[in-house]
Amino acid sequence: MQAYEPKIICFSCCFGWGYLTGRDVLSVKIKHWIPVICSGKLDSTHIMKAFREGADGVLILGCPDGDCHFQDGNYQTRKKVHLLHKVLVSYGIDPRRLRMELGTDPEGDTIPKLIQSMSRELRQMGPVKMTDHAVEARP
Amino acid sequence: MTKKPKVAIYWLGACGGCDEAIVDLNELLLDVASAIEIVLWPLAMDGKYDSIKRLPDGAIALSIIHGNVRNSEHEEMARLLRAKSQIVLGFGSCACFGGATGLANFCGRDSIMQWVYRDSPTVENPKGETPKPVSTVDGNTLTLPEILDHVYALNQVIPVDYYLPGCPPPPDLISHAITAVLEGKLPPRGAALAPQKALCESCPRNETKPPRIDIKEIKRPHEVEVDSHVCFLVEGVICMGPATRGGCGETCLRINTPCRGCFGPVEGVEDAGAKFLSAFASLVRATTDEQVQSIMEKFYDPVGYLYRFTQPSSTLGKRNKVRETV
Repeated sequence: MQAYEPKIICFSCCFGWGYLTGRDVLSVKIKHWIPVICSGKLDSTHIMKAFREGADGVLILGCPDGDCHFQDGNYQTRKKVHLLHKVLVSYGIDPRRLRMELGTDPEGDTIPKLIQSMSRELRQMGPVKMTDHAVEARP
Repeated sequence: MTKKPKVAIYWLGACGGCDEAIVDLNELLLDVASAIEIVLWPLAMDGKYDSIKRLPDGAIALSIIHGNVRNSEHEEMARLLRAKSQIVLGFGSCACFGGATGLANFCGRDSIMQWVYRDSPTVENPKGETPKPVSTVDGNTLTLPEILDHVYALNQVIPVDYYLPGCPPPPDLISHAITAVLEGKLPPRGAALAPQKALCESCPRNETKPPRIDIKEIKRPHEVEVDSHVCFLVEGVICMGPATRGGCGETCLRINTPCRGCFGPVEGVEDAGAKFLSAFASLVRATTDEQVQSIMEKFYDPVGYLYRFTQPSSTLGKRNKVRETV
């Protein structure tokens, strides 16, 4: 039997993460990587949809505090993450499955490492087991 | 004598408030009643399910169905009325989105049954009896509808042609919807027979709203007295208006109560709770992470607020019974 490998969707800000490396190069290294124009562009619906469609974890990479190209997009999303943690619990999704890291890495070398470290934690937790039966609808 | 269009009004998992809203049409109900033939309306008249079963398919012009699908009887009646009707109108929040009792999906059927029939402090049930679909008493077999393990919105069980949200829908939208059906002036199928924009658009308090709202503390309605012309969010009181469809007549706002979201998401949005979460988070003003956390801690029971009427149709809570049974 194949070892369980958590599926982590990684949204990263184009202005802070991996902008010096070609997108095609990084997307080979990073599975389920979605660069976005700003972490503030992320809506709660995107994160919920990711879990709905089978993600075991969502990792959001934003720019350092006070360093957002669009003033405060990272701050806006961090507030959403705080509230989302409280909402996900009710659906049976452990809040540790949604993580937001602030920082910058123009080459994007640390992105696979961050995903690996999150994977280690998620592997111990196993697949998402949602309350009720939403889990049945997952592919 | 010309044939009047047949209309059925039926309740599934509902409180009866939607029926009351139809009765609240008052004199207009008499005009409506003279233009149609009501074949089924359990609240107002006697009727037998068999008489509906005997009708040919598509014989009913309009079925107004309110309530969610929670037990096997609801499911059976929803399917029967769908087969016999040309148009099905999902009436009220329960039919449209699952409604307030859809919050039961956060607990699951078994834990609810255990609480209600075993664990609740006011229960005395030494034999541990629970309702069963079939039971035998003195040699007689008694049957009850079986409670499903999930609360479904109507369109998760049968195809629904039109939606009229609200808890309950207001009389002006009801009369507008019935007239539109009788006159054949209906929008494309699948539409909600209500305005498309958010409640804030028509909210009388919108005029005094400042250009920017900064929430530094979340307050519950009983903790602050909000002036009748001031936006609730300005005072830190959670009001679902920004993510809720308008058209309700702002009845809650007029009695100084914040919007609770009974009209569901605006046009094109699936999950009103998620949208409100994003909107609300952007209004919270704090300088440090700890401050954000301490403000959000006062957002008690967030899913209760965000999904008070829409859990069964939310992104993470929806489940499709049509697909499950095919």
